[in-house]
Parts: sequence; C-alpha cells; structure tokens
Amino acid sequence: MIRINQGNSSTKMLRRVISVAGILGIHHLLSPQAAHAYLDPGTGSYLFQILIAGLIGGAFALKIFWRRIWLFFSRLFSKKGNDDRVNK
Amino acid sequence: MTALINDGTIASSFRDPDGFLFRSGRVLYRQVNKVCRQDYRLLADSGLYQSLVGDHLLIPHQKADLGLARTAEAFKIIRPETVPFISYPYEWCFSQLQDAALTTLAIQQRALEHGMVLKDASAYNIQFLRGKPILIDTLSFAGYTEGQPWVAYRQFCQHFLAPLTLIAYTDVRLARLLRDYIDGIPLDLASRLLPGRSRLKFGLLSHIHLHARSQIRHAGMGAPPTGGRGVSRLALRGLIDSLSSAVRGLRWKAEETEWAEYYDRTNYSPEAIESKRRLVKEYLSAANPDVVWDLGGNIGDFSRLAAARNARVICFDADPAVVEKCYREEKKSEKSSLLPLVMDLTNPSPALGWAGRERDSLAARGPADLIMALALIHHLAISNNIPLPMIAEYFSSLGRWLIVEFIPKEDSQVKRLLATRKDIFSGYRDEEFERAFSEYFSIQARSPIQGSRRILYLMGPSG
Repeated sequence: MIRINQGNSSTKMLRRVISVAGILGIHHLLSPQAAHAYLDPGTGSYLFQILIAGLIGGAFALKIFWRRIWLFFSRLFSKKGNDDRVNK
Repeated sequence: MTALINDGTIASSFRDPDGFLFRSGRVLYRQVNKVCRQDYRLLADSGLYQSLVGDHLLIPHQKADLGLARTAEAFKIIRPETVPFISYPYEWCFSQLQDAALTTLAIQQRALEHGMVLKDASAYNIQFLRGKPILIDTLSFAGYTEGQPWVAYRQFCQHFLAPLTLIAYTDVRLARLLRDYIDGIPLDLASRLLPGRSRLKFGLLSHIHLHARSQIRHAGMGAPPTGGRGVSRLALRGLIDSLSSAVRGLRWKAEETEWAEYYDRTNYSPEAIESKRRLVKEYLSAANPDVVWDLGGNIGDFSRLAAARNARVICFDADPAVVEKCYREEKKSEKSSLLPLVMDLTNPSPALGWAGRERDSLAARGPADLIMALALIHHLAISNNIPLPMIAEYFSSLGRWLIVEFIPKEDSQVKRLLATRKDIFSGYRDEEFERAFSEYFSIQARSPIQGSRRILYLMGPSG
C-alpha cells in the first residue's frame, strides 16, 4: 500500500521547532476564500485551517529542504563507502 | 439486505448531489449526474483513476448502460466492484480506523498531485476489501483550485483523528461514540475528554484542541469572510503531512483484556482442541458455505479454518483487543478473506442515520450461509440471561446453517460464570438446548468434543 513519507530521526528536532512556532503563531488569523462544495467545512474549521496550514506550510517547506540535504549527504557518504569497498 | 428506497436507490447515498447508488436486480450501480461531468472526466483524464485503482486505493468500476439511469440528471452509469460486506467505523478496531485514515490521506495526497482533491473525508467511504482499506466513492473527487482550503478538513478530524486519539489517550470504549455521532465525534467533546498530555503533541494540539476552540469561537458567525488569502498548494501538502504524522504517531497497546489471552487460559486440553478443530472442519465441509459469520470468534483461530476453504469470513467479537490482534495477523497476508469486526452481540449494531436507514443493522447485512457460535452460548445464556429460544431465533435471522457448541454446567468455564451468582438456569441443559434450537434449525450432526464434556452441533435450515 502507498503511504505518506515516514518521519525519520532527522526530522524529530525539526518537529519540536514546528511545535514552538505553531504555538507562538496561533492567534494570527488570515482572511479565507469561499469554498464551493456540498460539504459544509464549518466556519471555525475553515478559518483555523487557513491559519494552521499557513504555519505548517512554512515548516513543511523547511522539512522538504532539510530532507533533501540529508538525502544528498547520505547518498554522498554511502557512495563513498561503496567506492571504498570496491577499491578494496 | 441493504436498506433501499422504493426506486432501488441505496438509502445511505443521498447527501452528495453529484450522484447516488442504486440497485437494479442484484447488481449495484452508481449514477453520475451531469453536475459533476467535469470532475468525473478529470478523474479519468488526469490519470488519477488509473493511479488509485492500480494501487488498490479506489474501487474499480465498469461503464454501464445509460438506459439504467434513475433520473434525467444522469451523465453516466457505472458499475463498481461489489464490496461483499459493508462494515462501519464503529465496528472497526484501532488499527483498522488508523489504516482507513492513512488511506484517506494517501488518496488526498495523490489527488493533489493530479490536480484534484477529496471533497469529503467520510470514514464511511472507506471499506475493507480483501483485507485492505479502499475508497468506495468514485465521486469523492473535485478539481483543485490553487488557494482553496481542504473542504473536508473538519470531517477528517471528526471521523478519524478524534476517535483515534480518544482510543490512544483515554479509553478504547470511546470509539463507540462514533455510533452516536454519525458525522464523527465533535471536536469540542473530544477535546474535553482528552487528557492534558495530549496537548503536548503539536498535531493533536492543533488539529483537535485549537481546532475545537476555533469552532466554538466562530460558531454562529455565518459564512467566513472571502476575498483574502487561502491555503497554498505547499501549505495544503503540509497540512496533509501534519495530519498523517498525527495519525501515524498514535499507538494503542491492546492491554490484556478478559478475552485477549483466552486461548492461553482456556480449559481445553490439547486433545479437546484438536477434536474441536477436526469437527469444525468436518461440519464446514458438510455445509460448504461461501459466507461465514463467526460470532464471538476471538482472535479468529476457527474463522481461519473457514477462510482456508475460500469462504468469506467475518469474525465478530465484543472485545476490541482481540479484534485488534486478529486484524494485525490478517494484515500479514496479501489477500485476506477474513474481516474481524468489533460487535457486542448482546447489543449489535442497529440501523442508524436519517430515517434509521443510512447505516444497516447487523441482521440487515445478512444472512450469512453459516454462523459459527463456538464457546459462546454459555456467555449469552448465563452471563447475559438470554433465554435459549431467543438465542436460537436471533441466530436463525443471521444465518441459514449453524455450527454451535454447547458447554454444560459441569464445565469449569460455566462453573466460573456461576461461582458468583445464584443458579437460576434450570433449563440450561443439552436437551433444552436442542429443543429450543430445533424450533429454528434442523440438527444435522451432534458430536462430543473429545477430552471435554462439550458438544458440537451442525444445524441446517429447518423444514
């Protein structure tokens, strides 16, 4: 089954940062757009989503960036390790 | 039989104007209305349908004759693959609900990649097919517009995150709130029932506690103001990722319950267990059922004997811990034909929802070809004071054939039940048992279980 990306140790510290950022920024509300659907999103839910998604979005961008750096170095070192083994 | 409205429309399929389900003969169809023509085409043209069906995340369908349409609004008629047994979130164990939640989020993420979104996130749109959760509502997709918030965010939190968190942090029995609250557990209620430590997790603090506070604060405010900023695509992806982390981070450790360790504490000798297994296999072979309901099936040991014969088996038990154990075991197999569900037979799932027809009762989803009731009768008759004729009558409404075990008063398990109460069960004898059940079934076979005083019966339809 397809699953959303699993967290790893590299993102744990980042999550803590996200937590603090989220709690600090929680009273900042933005103006939303109208939703067009048969389901009522609920005014409170709608406004809250815009707020929380804004906060999470920033942190998510950071997470993707962090993961790419992590991936780059882990590939670099694993490649180096493989090369070393081949050279032996 | 699923509740139908007079024209064959499925009674649970009325909220979404984009279409509805109906039956023609014994076949299930879905009418796609003209109003969602664009979204329906986009589902195919964007490649999302193929992608989801290919990964068993969405129920596949075939095109059907438009002449079958029930109303003039019809644009297409499709014939989705049939889900043999419809189960409801209040019948699922923790891991089933968690897997259904993660499947919903995975579908939403995939939809976003194809320029679409899930326009609802109802737990009732997920069913278990061959042991895996799958979306059964083909019309749940709408085109994505940049900046548009996820319209189903509230529904996802109420249907999935709130009950899962209540199970993980407070008590597994709170999952039954889903039976009362058909559109998911209100977040203010969940927030009040959760312990303070649940606020230490960012996902739970935000998606449940602060979300609930926002709902209360803006209650009665009317339509939200428009024209300002919405939710960017990246932020929406972040929201899905955050919900996924919150759901994935929840754990429920099935503590040792009365039944979770049943097979370790049972009074069966190895000889008796072997004899019982042999007899059950023999009776299953004689009845040759396609659909088996194992009532009080515990962790599914005997259900698996039926599943091994290629029967579709539902293993019901009142204890969420044993259902959890059974589900985790079944998840290991690639294509399971055994679905474990939480069901208290002394208070089985009733018909629920609008006009009492949106969600079917347990009996309305039957009858099964064969019912198994092993080591169960004494709990119903003695622990719950249910007279034997009433048990026989109810069983006959659930299935045509019956494999049933009678455990006499001399058995240590029955002695244990009677140890703390007055024995008012003078009629609890095998002759009375046979008399009561003969009113509704015909007894085909009766065999003592070797190494015990128990008797195993095979009963067929009467007359």
